[in-house]
Amino acid sequence: MRRSDKYRFWVILGVLVVLQFSLRGRLGGDRVAPDFLLLALLIYTIRAAPGPSAGVGFLVGLLRDTLTPASFGAGALAHTLVGYLSSWSKAVFFAENLFVNGCLFFAGTWFRNLVVALASGKLKGGLLGWELLVWSPIQSLTTAVAGVVVLWLFGRYLAIRLSDA
Amino acid sequence: MALGADRYASRADTLAFIGCVLLSVAAMSLPERVRDPFARVVRQWVLAPLLALQRQTELLSASLERYDAVVAQRDSASLAATFVPELRSENTRLRGLLGLGVRLGSGYVPAEVLHAAEPTNPLTFIVSAGRKQGVKPLSAVVSPEGLVGIVSTVDAQTSVVVSWAHPEFRASAMAGDGSLYGIIAPYGTDGPRAWLLQLQGVAYRQLVPEGTAILTSGLGGVLPRGIPIGTVVGAAGEAEGWERTYLVRPAVHPAAVTHVMILTGPPLKGDLRSVFQSGGEAPP
Repeated sequence: MRRSDKYRFWVILGVLVVLQFSLRGRLGGDRVAPDFLLLALLIYTIRAAPGPSAGVGFLVGLLRDTLTPASFGAGALAHTLVGYLSSWSKAVFFAENLFVNGCLFFAGTWFRNLVVALASGKLKGGLLGWELLVWSPIQSLTTAVAGVVVLWLFGRYLAIRLSDA
Repeated sequence: MALGADRYASRADTLAFIGCVLLSVAAMSLPERVRDPFARVVRQWVLAPLLALQRQTELLSASLERYDAVVAQRDSASLAATFVPELRSENTRLRGLLGLGVRLGSGYVPAEVLHAAEPTNPLTFIVSAGRKQGVKPLSAVVSPEGLVGIVSTVDAQTSVVVSWAHPEFRASAMAGDGSLYGIIAPYGTDGPRAWLLQLQGVAYRQLVPEGTAILTSGLGGVLPRGIPIGTVVGAAGEAEGWERTYLVRPAVHPAAVTHVMILTGPPLKGDLRSVFQSGGEAPP
């Protein structure tokens, strides 16, 4: 990774954070719009080691928990797990192409929602089923699509070598 | 930031992960009195710029939606404003009718003109009063300004009115001061003098000055005496040196009438001149 690419990497992550608090509200319902903050975390974990990924995931989750104090800590746990597992599994299993990264974004979003739903203990029964089988897959899909677009447009600045899918 | 080289979980990574998980569990078990102040501080100091950005975005979004609503309201108001002069005119006309009704005292039926889209509508039109309201054929139809026409056909709830513009309309007329008599008839619907009346059969020796008011004479017993028909605007011609014809500007245009009064019985006074002299004024 060149020195200038590092700055671009952080700029792209910053833009994703800004999009989370600006554009996301205009992209449909809260439960289906892409999660740009989680996307930024997942893109970070693609290149980062599992330890820092877990730490960043914890911080991101903790910040999100301050916005939803009812499930305080659940977001931190979920993002920690997602950060660590994403980084670890990406290093061990996944090749670097758009489709695989898209699957990573999809699985990461769905898994985050699963952990938050279970750890918070707020969702049970049919509500939990709807969340995990309907809303979460939709949000995972939109997040994955957004992530693929980001990688397709800025993959070279993120120091991710994309082979043909 | 550890980008790049180390791709597998080292012991430090595992320890960091376990530490974060433990911290998360600890955060989940925090009591509210600790959790809420902490969350508040983070929101106020760390997330404040992002929350402000989100708030501004929501405001912008709401403003855009409000702008559309405001534009729609403005368009509706503009559309409504175009009807204001018409409403004022109708209001004035209704006030005039009320005043006329008071002055007539009795023997009239108020009715609404049911305008049709046909171009012949000013010649004959329907009014919303019929036999059940006491309307009879050949009843005079008036507005506060003057004569509109006569009832031609009467149905149960409606009536057909033949206006003065109908080619077959005729009425006995006189000057306001009763100095001359003649027959009033429509001049025609073609040419620049369309929608004017002509006063026929005026004696050749009688010159009628411009502006003379023409009223119904009451001769023949169909129309009451003294209903304004119009004012003389000039001479139309003379025939063989023994009679003159004058052009009369009608007091009422049938197409502009929305409400009328149908005279159904003998009014309190035989001559309606005094009733129409203060035409258009509302009752006190």
